[in-house]
Amino acid sequence: MSINLNESSVGTRENRLGSITGYSGRLSDLVERSHCGTLGNHERCFSQSSTCNSSCGLSQLAGIRDVAVINHAPSGCTAVAPGIATLDRQMATKRGVTTDTVFIGTDMDEQDTVFGATGPLKDIVREIYRRYHPRAIFIGASCVTGIIGEDIDSVVDDLRDEIPVPLAAIHCEGFRSRIWASGFDVADQAVMTSLVKPPKQRSNKVNFKNFFESARDEIIDIFSNFDVEPTFLYVNSTVDELEHLSEAQATISICGTLGTYLGNALEEHYGVPYIRTINPLGVTGFETWLREIGKVIGKSDKVEAYIAQERAKYLPQIEKLKGELEGIRVVLGMGPGYTFEVTRVLEELGMEVVWAAAWHFDPNYDNGAVPPSMDHLLKNGSDFKLSITDQQNYEILNILDHYQPDIYLSRHPGTTVWAIKQGVPALCVTDEYMIFGYRGVLRFGNSVLDTIRNRSFEKNLAARSELPYTDWWYQQDADALMKEEL
Amino acid sequence: MSTITDSPRGTCALGGVNATITALERVIPIYHSGPGCCMQNSAGEAGQSGGRSPYQVGSVSTPCTNMIERDIVFGALDRLRETTEGALEIYDADAFFLLSGCTSGIIGDDVGSIAKEFQERGEAVYAIESPGFLGESYRGFELAFEAFLDQIVKPADEHEPDLVNLLGIMPYHNPFWQGNIEELTRILERLGLRVNTFFTRHQGIEDIRTSSRAALNVIVSPWLLRSAEEQYQERFGVPSLRWPGPPVGATDTTAFVRAVGETLHLDHTLVERVIAEEEDYVYSYLATTPEGLSWKRFAIVGDAATVVGVTRFLANDYSLTPAVAIVTDPMFRDDDKAAIARQLTTLEYAQPPKVVFTTDQWEISQELRLHDDVTLLIGSTNDRESAQESDAQYVPISYPVTDRLVFNRSIIGYRGSLTLIEDIFTDL
Repeated sequence: MSINLNESSVGTRENRLGSITGYSGRLSDLVERSHCGTLGNHERCFSQSSTCNSSCGLSQLAGIRDVAVINHAPSGCTAVAPGIATLDRQMATKRGVTTDTVFIGTDMDEQDTVFGATGPLKDIVREIYRRYHPRAIFIGASCVTGIIGEDIDSVVDDLRDEIPVPLAAIHCEGFRSRIWASGFDVADQAVMTSLVKPPKQRSNKVNFKNFFESARDEIIDIFSNFDVEPTFLYVNSTVDELEHLSEAQATISICGTLGTYLGNALEEHYGVPYIRTINPLGVTGFETWLREIGKVIGKSDKVEAYIAQERAKYLPQIEKLKGELEGIRVVLGMGPGYTFEVTRVLEELGMEVVWAAAWHFDPNYDNGAVPPSMDHLLKNGSDFKLSITDQQNYEILNILDHYQPDIYLSRHPGTTVWAIKQGVPALCVTDEYMIFGYRGVLRFGNSVLDTIRNRSFEKNLAARSELPYTDWWYQQDADALMKEEL
Repeated sequence: MSTITDSPRGTCALGGVNATITALERVIPIYHSGPGCCMQNSAGEAGQSGGRSPYQVGSVSTPCTNMIERDIVFGALDRLRETTEGALEIYDADAFFLLSGCTSGIIGDDVGSIAKEFQERGEAVYAIESPGFLGESYRGFELAFEAFLDQIVKPADEHEPDLVNLLGIMPYHNPFWQGNIEELTRILERLGLRVNTFFTRHQGIEDIRTSSRAALNVIVSPWLLRSAEEQYQERFGVPSLRWPGPPVGATDTTAFVRAVGETLHLDHTLVERVIAEEEDYVYSYLATTPEGLSWKRFAIVGDAATVVGVTRFLANDYSLTPAVAIVTDPMFRDDDKAAIARQLTTLEYAQPPKVVFTTDQWEISQELRLHDDVTLLIGSTNDRESAQESDAQYVPISYPVTDRLVFNRSIIGYRGSLTLIEDIFTDL
């Protein structure tokens, strides 16, 4: 595996990692075939809307403070920019900082699809610099620019002398990939190639890749025990912070899917160790993760002291909670960086994983190894049924109807409402820190209990709402419309 | 040509078509597009317009061919065919619309040809060429109506004198679309009329099909659906009454009710009785209004219909002072702009506001900075920061609204005008 930082583009997950979006089977088979390199993808003869790598990648970059993201695309591709801007400003306010980042579109029209629009694009970049004086400008490609062959790299080259801040072309054409997580890698490539500088010295920082830093204070507090200071990425990051990522003692990611490209790139090019363990969700995850961090930064003794102290505080409460969670039957649908971590926590707490769905699957990460969560599960005797499905709602609702779980756990906006309409209590695990560490386990367990103990809304709504699917569909197997493996 | 759109107030043509189609009950769109279009559209319209999920299908439950690179190189009509085939099996629906996105639009995949194949088998499958680059949300709203008129509406033997089509409020895109349609329906029904709303009350494709039986289209928008207006008249003999936006408050709503009554030759006594009762209802509440009525000089930002209606209400009925009215619709016809400006400047009482047309958030924010004496900013979530900057009170009423949930709230007509006043006097 080799990460190339000489180009603005980076391969998709499908091409780079052999990632898939269609599979139905068991955990043991998936892991075994990931190791053998024999895992193929199943196309579908019917599919529902996925999400594109553009919205994923550009919204990552829009989290950075005081930059400009310019989406060179028709108007609709930037439609959720106001929502993203609102969210990022709320995140900044919550932390007591400000952000002047702008996320704008170029509103390409029909004429532009015929004649191209690199000329107007240059003017827009100039005008955006004049208006906002951003610390960096990222220019996103789109389906339209990809098909008509707009050369955004040349636009960046032509403007480089004129605009005195880092510029980067973001190759996130929507049709590149069905795996929106490819957008994480595109954003990382832009940060690595346009912002990160070679190290001058080692700092006391650790790079901490996450989504919305809701556990920021807790993590700063934990790491202060080990004399290091986390730099959270990318929401509320500054360009100055990003320039120094190469000087950190380690890179950590709350999610393996989110962190693989940046973590491996920083390790390969600048020798910053990337922490590759199971994630800090649940007790085993949290302790395994902390111990590895302790080893890498040379603070194992302090980590052990911390673990001992926290165990005494929280383990009795967690044991008590386990009794109440025992036997709860769960179906879950999440990105793979969470599905195969949360399943471990569920089993650790005595719950039963009836079916696990992952929005895609990376048979290996950028270091060439199978995700650590997979081997961990298998070693501990897990072997649940699972599917790889890019949000295919009809498959999920079929599974929920067939297995009638006590709860559906999901990690994607707009997905739990359909389960609830079908009468299944659902918990949207949107906060990436919901199950983080000992305290997270307690918070999560109590949320599960709250969700399943009062089912009035699910019951009342399901009795009165109609879902769009036919009875015929509910009688089929969930993978009935998957094709042969390719 | 490419222009700067900072904080766009809408999605694209495809998003507009999708919002319109999915507001019809038991009607399913099938996207022939890249994998991200539908999520962006659903989050962009329903999600950013009062924070809701689409009703029956939307976002993850919408069929989509999720076109990737090889589909663009080789074309993907086979994939659209099998996706449609699958949709017919798994959805219990009355109609399907195949929608082209930018990708299929540029490579020239003919979605109409696939719809035709299915129609020949007797299936209710239609197609709309709707690549996003054709325009913004409103363009999609108009494209959907053009398709309804071309493909769905059937000629009627006769017109029903008490049946009207209520048009011009765009579903999902307007944060208060449902409540506003409900309030106008309530008022029209009090006049003894039956109302095709298409998007509420579980109406659907059949109501579109028979909309040619109506005696009148009531179009409550200053500029939308001009082509539909002409088609209804020329092909189906349905005339239109165009009103420059949903009326807000007693004065404009009463004028609207009288206009409908005169156009349809309704019983004068009935019309005047309804007006008297509705005005009494409104003013009985306004009589209990908080003190200090005229201490607000306001700025308003939003779509033309809302800006016109709310400005006229607050100036003519409620003695507030409009300082600036910013219209954010992407309009191109000069006569539309002139008509809107006329509505905003011919006020009975207050001094007319400065009228500005722009879609660009930077220009909007710059304009608002010029009015530092404004104490009330009525706009969208995009404008919240401007309100904070000038320490003005902020009330969200126009797209995008991402900081409150909206179900059936109405801010127009008789009753909705009271709700609007309630909102202005909340969080003081």
